[in-house]
Amino acid sequence: MIVLTGLALLSACSKKDNTAPSSQIRIDSITASVNPVVAYDTSVITVYATGVNLQYGWVVNHGKIKGSGTTVKYSACQSCRGLNTITCRVFNETGEVSDTIMVRVTPWHSK
Amino acid sequence: MLQTAKYLLILLCLCTGNKAFSQCCTSGNPFISDAEQPALQSRILTASLNYRYSHSGKYYSEDSRFTELPFQEIAYSNYTELQVGYGITNWLTALTDIGYFVNKTLQTPGVDSYKGYGIGDLGLYAKFNAYSNSRLRLTISPTVGVKFPVGVFDQELENVQLPISVQPSAGSYRYLANLFISKGFGKVALAGFASYEYSQLIESENFYYKYGDQWVAALYFNYRPWKRFTIDLQVRNEYRTKSTRENDDIIESSGYDVVFFTPQVTYAFKHDWYLSAYGDIPLHKYCNGIQLSFGYAVSVRVTKKIDFIALMARKKSAGPNGSETK
Repeated sequence: MIVLTGLALLSACSKKDNTAPSSQIRIDSITASVNPVVAYDTSVITVYATGVNLQYGWVVNHGKIKGSGTTVKYSACQSCRGLNTITCRVFNETGEVSDTIMVRVTPWHSK
Repeated sequence: MLQTAKYLLILLCLCTGNKAFSQCCTSGNPFISDAEQPALQSRILTASLNYRYSHSGKYYSEDSRFTELPFQEIAYSNYTELQVGYGITNWLTALTDIGYFVNKTLQTPGVDSYKGYGIGDLGLYAKFNAYSNSRLRLTISPTVGVKFPVGVFDQELENVQLPISVQPSAGSYRYLANLFISKGFGKVALAGFASYEYSQLIESENFYYKYGDQWVAALYFNYRPWKRFTIDLQVRNEYRTKSTRENDDIIESSGYDVVFFTPQVTYAFKHDWYLSAYGDIPLHKYCNGIQLSFGYAVSVRVTKKIDFIALMARKKSAGPNGSETK
């Protein structure tokens, strides 16, 4: 029991590398090809950033993100209706910066 | 009674027909649906290892199949769970379980899939032997418990966060209470089970979400045709209220009302080893709005039971050199 709990707690602890803010990275803009987007449809999200050896991380509070790097696809189902936040994290060895874009998901309806 | 059992089985099989679907993805451990057991006697330990495969691939709108979407989506998972129960006294049993997802996958054919994996939630429960009458073969066992979100949540793959539906852990505490009543008649036992689960708000780094409350009611029919072989037939209703998101907005396409039929067979081997196999088959599904609906699930369970009092009595009766005393 103790071993199991220890294992469980251990696996719950995960940390991202170097999350300190960096002055050497700048996010110029984040764009969405479609906004608002209908449920079950997709919107292409692109980040424009300047810096050296940049890597990109993506998070959304409702819906799904497919792909990686500077351009990803966002899609959402009917249960994700509303104003959703997509956060892009741009990072390198100096640290990271992040910015968000709000995408509204509207209900799906028969065509 | 045997005739009644046969008719019930035939009726349920006819009802299920070719409707074999699977359970939809939600975060956290799935509801393990094998036949519920009463509280254990003092100093009895049971340990079970459960494997479960679930699969779903059909969208539903209310109680009808929804086929208008221009794509297909499949959700499936391979899940294992370790459960341990110990009878502390004749009236109190402590139970714990921990789950591990080998995979929890959401797939659109032709497109890369989302795959979550890792430890799910840790459950701790206290089960009480509120009433037990061996002459009447009647037991009443209420349970209270908590599921701790100790496992993996906010899981990312290549720096892209996975959707909430494939996160292994529920991401929040869940509190539950249930009641199990069983009555035996000869080779047959009938049982009832009612459960309520409250999910706390998920307020993680990336998610703000609250699952609706869940109610489960089940009726069990248990029959032992041979000494070592048991058949359980279960009809279970799972009902979940709608979820909420930021600003307490109700998510209309969430929550469901599903009736399952769960047949189960158990074989008791020597030395208190048990092997069970069971499956979940939805008989009726109602999904609010449009949702990927429940499908089928199949499970296998191995259980070992240890009676420490009997073990000690056996040791005592054995002589100092290990030979049986007379």
